[in-house]
Amino acid sequence: MKYPSSILSRRNFLKRSGIGFGMLGLAGLLSEKSGLYASSATPHTHFTPKAKRVIHFFLNGGPSHVDTFDPKPALLKYASKSLPQTLITERKTGTAFPSPFKFQRYGQSGIEVSELFAKTAQHIDDIAVIRSMYAQVPNHEPSLMLMNCGDSVQTRPSLGSWLMYGLGSENENLPGFVSMCPGGFPIKGAENWQSAFLPGAMQGTYVDSQHTAVNKLIENIHSPHANANTQRRQLDLLRQINIEHQRGRIDPRLDARIESFELAFRMQTSASDAFDISHEPKHIQDLYGSGVHGRQTLIARRLLERGVRYVQLWHGAGQPWDHHSKIEEGHRKLAAEIDQPIAALLSDLKQRGMLEDTLVIWGGEFGRTPTVEMSGNAATLGRDHNHYGFSTWMAGGGIKGGTVYGSTDEFGFAAQENPTSVHDLHATILHLMGLDHEQLTYRYAGRDFRLTDVHGEILKNILA
Amino acid sequence: MTKVLPSLKIAGVALYWSAMAHAAPAVDGTTFFETKIRPLFIENCQKCHGDKKQENGLRLDSKAGWQNGGDHGAAIKPGDPENSLMIKAVRRIDKNLQMPPKHPLKDEEIAALEEWVKMGAPDPRQGTSAAKKGIDMTEGRKHWAFQPIGHPQPPTLAINTWSHSAVDCFILEKLQRAGLQPSPAADRLTLIRRATFDLTGLSPTPAEVEAFVSDLAPDAYARLIERLLASPHYGEHWARHWLDVARYSDTKGYVYAREEKMWIHATSYRDWVVKALNDDMPYDRFVQLQVAADQIEPAGSPHLAAMGFLTLGRRFLGVTHDIIDDRIDVVTRGLLGLTTACARCHDHKYDPIPTRDYYALYGVFQSSAEKVVPCGLAKGTVYEKEWNVREQKLRETMATRREEQSARVRATVKEHLIAQLELEKYPEEAFGQLLDLNDINPVFVRRWKSYLSEDEKSTDPIFAEWHALKSKGVIKDLHEAAARYGTLFADIEKQWRALLKSQPDAKALPNTADERLRGVLYTLDSPCYVPDEHIANTEMFFTASTVVEIWKLQGEVDRWLMQNADAPPQATILVDRSKPSTPRIFTRGNPLTKGAEVPRQFLQVLSEENAQPFVNGSGRLELAQAIANPSNPLTARVMVNRVWQHHFGHGLVSTPSDFGKRAEIPSHPELLDWLAQHFTLSGWSIKEMHRLIMLSQTYQQRSGSPSDAIELTKVHQLDPENRLLWRMNPHRLSFEEARDAWLAASGELNLIMGGRPESLFAKQNTRRTLYTLVDRENLPTVLRTFDFANPDLSIPQRNETTVPQQALFSLNHPFIASRASAITQRLKGSDAASKISHLYSLLYQRTPTEHEMESALNFVQLDSAPLAQTKQPNAWQYGYGEWDEATGRIKSFTSLPHFNGSAWQGGDNWPDEKLGWVQITATGGHPGNDRQHAVVRRWIAPQDGNYTLTSSLIHEPEPGDGIRAFVSHNKRGLLRSTSLHQSTEQINLETIAMNKSDTLDFIVDIRDGLNSDQFLWSPMIKLSGGAGSGGDIADQAWFANKDFDADTITLLPPWEQLAQVLMLSNEFMFVD
Repeated sequence: MKYPSSILSRRNFLKRSGIGFGMLGLAGLLSEKSGLYASSATPHTHFTPKAKRVIHFFLNGGPSHVDTFDPKPALLKYASKSLPQTLITERKTGTAFPSPFKFQRYGQSGIEVSELFAKTAQHIDDIAVIRSMYAQVPNHEPSLMLMNCGDSVQTRPSLGSWLMYGLGSENENLPGFVSMCPGGFPIKGAENWQSAFLPGAMQGTYVDSQHTAVNKLIENIHSPHANANTQRRQLDLLRQINIEHQRGRIDPRLDARIESFELAFRMQTSASDAFDISHEPKHIQDLYGSGVHGRQTLIARRLLERGVRYVQLWHGAGQPWDHHSKIEEGHRKLAAEIDQPIAALLSDLKQRGMLEDTLVIWGGEFGRTPTVEMSGNAATLGRDHNHYGFSTWMAGGGIKGGTVYGSTDEFGFAAQENPTSVHDLHATILHLMGLDHEQLTYRYAGRDFRLTDVHGEILKNILA
Repeated sequence: MTKVLPSLKIAGVALYWSAMAHAAPAVDGTTFFETKIRPLFIENCQKCHGDKKQENGLRLDSKAGWQNGGDHGAAIKPGDPENSLMIKAVRRIDKNLQMPPKHPLKDEEIAALEEWVKMGAPDPRQGTSAAKKGIDMTEGRKHWAFQPIGHPQPPTLAINTWSHSAVDCFILEKLQRAGLQPSPAADRLTLIRRATFDLTGLSPTPAEVEAFVSDLAPDAYARLIERLLASPHYGEHWARHWLDVARYSDTKGYVYAREEKMWIHATSYRDWVVKALNDDMPYDRFVQLQVAADQIEPAGSPHLAAMGFLTLGRRFLGVTHDIIDDRIDVVTRGLLGLTTACARCHDHKYDPIPTRDYYALYGVFQSSAEKVVPCGLAKGTVYEKEWNVREQKLRETMATRREEQSARVRATVKEHLIAQLELEKYPEEAFGQLLDLNDINPVFVRRWKSYLSEDEKSTDPIFAEWHALKSKGVIKDLHEAAARYGTLFADIEKQWRALLKSQPDAKALPNTADERLRGVLYTLDSPCYVPDEHIANTEMFFTASTVVEIWKLQGEVDRWLMQNADAPPQATILVDRSKPSTPRIFTRGNPLTKGAEVPRQFLQVLSEENAQPFVNGSGRLELAQAIANPSNPLTARVMVNRVWQHHFGHGLVSTPSDFGKRAEIPSHPELLDWLAQHFTLSGWSIKEMHRLIMLSQTYQQRSGSPSDAIELTKVHQLDPENRLLWRMNPHRLSFEEARDAWLAASGELNLIMGGRPESLFAKQNTRRTLYTLVDRENLPTVLRTFDFANPDLSIPQRNETTVPQQALFSLNHPFIASRASAITQRLKGSDAASKISHLYSLLYQRTPTEHEMESALNFVQLDSAPLAQTKQPNAWQYGYGEWDEATGRIKSFTSLPHFNGSAWQGGDNWPDEKLGWVQITATGGHPGNDRQHAVVRRWIAPQDGNYTLTSSLIHEPEPGDGIRAFVSHNKRGLLRSTSLHQSTEQINLETIAMNKSDTLDFIVDIRDGLNSDQFLWSPMIKLSGGAGSGGDIADQAWFANKDFDADTITLLPPWEQLAQVLMLSNEFMFVD
């Protein structure tokens, strides 16, 4: 296993990690000698990890829980009538709005899932649905920040950056944290995968998965003015000059820089290869489907397979799932785009024996109201944002499949049983990755910061 | 098991327990406490609620402790478990109140507590005071950093053959004590390179090096330092160090789409910092201007720009608390080296900074409002006319909307009173509700709330009846009263309107009592008042559509001023609000749980005992003065440490923005104080600090390893990190320094100073990297990769990482290759050897060694033959020509001349002057302006065989008549033709027999007219039934899109390759 930790000076890093010598293995991982990636045979985590890598389907905009994974038959009773109690959200909403989608029980567990995710639902016995998530405010920007970085407003490192910090990547030839979004940035852009006070190298690498040309996917991976031979020749000269320069000098950074060029040279081939799905057999390409989501999900699997730590798959630029109006049409279209790729991924991971140590996460930044959104006096046939209650699910590494955890109230407005904060979710994800969310800290501005701040409880009931 | 179930179970257990209690002989309360409760408290609670810690202000090690309770009130209501907070907490029903935090109590323990409370909570424990143990200031002041700056004398050393400068004596003493000795002085070339980079961020020119190396006068080095300190580029380089601390950005970060994202005042601030440093502005003034220039300088002064330090932070989605937090952080860490923001939610865990100190500063910033003002004269008048129009429109709209909003609140007194009875419906500021005209705005509800509470405290409350009814709490009565108040104020409003009609300049209603009521609606203190401030301060007062409207108008004004070079520069300053507000502690940092009021005041640990609160306005000027006061032990120490840090790579204190208790103690405390003292005595001259440091022998040491092996082993054992400075630390160039140095070496660096930023890779951007656009929302990846300071956070010291992404940029990004090309153009010399010498001189300011010369000559001479051979086989070509109906072929194929990195076209500009819209990209393209300029993507068969073509041709735009497309074989002519408009067509062909070097042309023209003719067409060609079938399809297939880039490599010529290598070397990137 490889760790990028020594990209910082060992001393500096240890001082900031607040972990101290010996407490967590990180200390042993930092090698001043090699200067760059130090390696170690075993992962130095706080405890044995259940999952080694994460793939996160981010349905940005806010998918409706009452139309996907949280059936609310009571809404039918109140159709076109006011609910006994409604909550304040961003905009005004009116009467109860029963889901236009059919729910059905799946698998041995018999968990109900709507027709929107009928293919994904075939795997329900591998999935733990958390139906009692809640966020803090009914607005996209803070909720995206909360879900990705653990704080609605302040500048904090994203979950992926924390994982990079805690675990590094298993493949030194690929970026360890990749965020793919077809066609541009989600709202809040690169802040969603920011490293904040952690080193810049730990931020997510953004990939516009709209592109089909491999060379377009990663910045600077392809030279417009050199081929492998000319570059090799240049690097040979560079190495020679650098080695001569080292005479009489003592500075591990000099070695590190020499190594980094060799690594970069190798990365060009291996990264191009990882992103190139034309190497996949036809039946696998067909399994995922030909759309952009099929493609990005398949790329993601190739990356995970190669040791990338955390891949986030955004649905698209802006906030596609934000259906304030005509939610039936909108949700149907978007769900159709990702249901097959998600199901394909679950099958594919399983078939490869990777599901047991890959954590799959599905969700958005919040859910939607069980009441219909109003525009003046007219119903929009859409739903407003709802941070009081929504669903997220996880599957794979360390997750007890076929589980429903928590619930919202009768109508799906607010989390009721086992309310689950985003911090709880984060604590659980770190736990599954072998990290104690209270011990994974970084000192900045005099404080030992954590992803979960001062919160977070591990969701023991969904652990296998 | 769920969390709900246990509580049901608990209830059962409780019953069981109480049954037991009744059945058994009556248990004495004290015994019960001693056996069941005291051990339980000790084991589970007192670690956090005891003698050492009092989380939430609560302690449970005495009866008085739970009686007085913590932040949330008494912990126990004797006899009433259902209404006792402690019981609620241990039952863990409320998500936000669960104790103990990690491990729930056992069911029987909970039952015991319930029983005990029911018994009346008998508790014999006395003695221990329940008083909260605040921070012990006397103890806290003992920390070295809070001690007054001492007057240390440089040590007198028994043996000193090195140097007698004060700095050196301090350093040498520590070295001697450790048994180490300093390194010899560096050579002249190293010295000038080191000093020039250190002071100006630039490399010395070959001529400068030559002059210095041959200057044998004893004061040559001192004159060099003076020359560099006088260079205007000094200010540019050191400004960037300061901008890291000031979390500088040219943009606001994420803002809603309605708002202009560029800061109007970032340029002014950046240029002000550059000038202040070049002028060697005394640092105490530098500090004060950045915090309170509005109260030091007259209107229009260029120094108003200094306040960008406070106002350039993120916008935090407009949430006031976070904007203020950011300002407290940049002021206290940036200027004082104190992590005060840690005290936002609780007393600082390590340093003597109580929460009240945080909110004392909070009050200063809460009492200050943002304002955009000119900070200099206009350079012309061209901008004026249009600016007046835009500004006028903004002002008028703002005035109208303010009045409309106030009028609405005045007309809804009743609703605002009723709202006081259901405050939970009106969420805090961070909760972004979209409000429209008929909504009751939470801001006014809260203004009414504080208005009413002030009123209640007054001797003759206007709302006396309301207060009385409120204490009784009968909702119906309150509603009726609200209605009566509504009618009453409607009448006052009517009277006032009528009076204004007859007397437009009336100032008051004639009847005193009525006038007093009018005051509720109209004064500056009125809860109906909308402040006359910049929209950045007042968003929350308006409806969603008004906020959009005003931001748009504000954006119009801002953009106009930014676009027009003759407009006056702008500053965003803070000004004191007419009525400063007294801050209240937000318990646990939560604005909804307000605690005690605190006065606006300076940090206690840096103040005299019994220091007084600020008295003038917000107190911001007093804050600035307190920071800059020479008796403040931190300000000078923190700044000299920053200067030291940038010269030596790390500070005497290794955490430059944290001088608190958790910081490592200084490596040379006396030296730090000696420097700090000299700093203030020199009139806070930063340049004087540079002189002191750079003229020392310590600074002039070599950075290499000791040549002596024993000495080498010794330093590695005793001080591997060089904290004692037995040598100079080598410096790796920052991204800015490297980019500037590349541009300087290639002769392209544009040294013009100041002005608006340009984006990093804009074609014409050859300015110093200081002037690169810093967009905190979307910082170029390369900046992040090279550890540029995160513009969202105050960064005292950059990370220094080495990652392959840096190497990838250096190898593959066109920016470096272009510099390599440019530098090659500059090379003078009749033969290769003299050109190589010139190259070494430009990049390293030295001549190459014999061996280096040999390698370089080999590199450039052994080039062309092997290189040409290794070029990839080119299966695709890109050209244009005219379709010939008669032959079914293109009339003549002409290759497109220019590749811009993603498309083949006529030239750098598209459309091209000669070839028009002709363009071929990886996935499609655009035909030329007429039928003579059809675009042709040509594929050349690499071997004999039968091939299959798969492709879809897509034309999307509605306007125009679409396109014509043809597939043509060089031998067989037309294979397929089609015309397409707003549609997609599959163009697939089976079994195309081809010999090696035969061509397939994919041709598109404009059909009958040039209008929206762009198309997508990226054919895939596959060898069918050829040798080696069954393998990876990629091996026998050609993809127009995938192969596109691979084919279009324009190899750098060998000389440029050599230049690139030398530009990337460690010698270039490190300064000894």
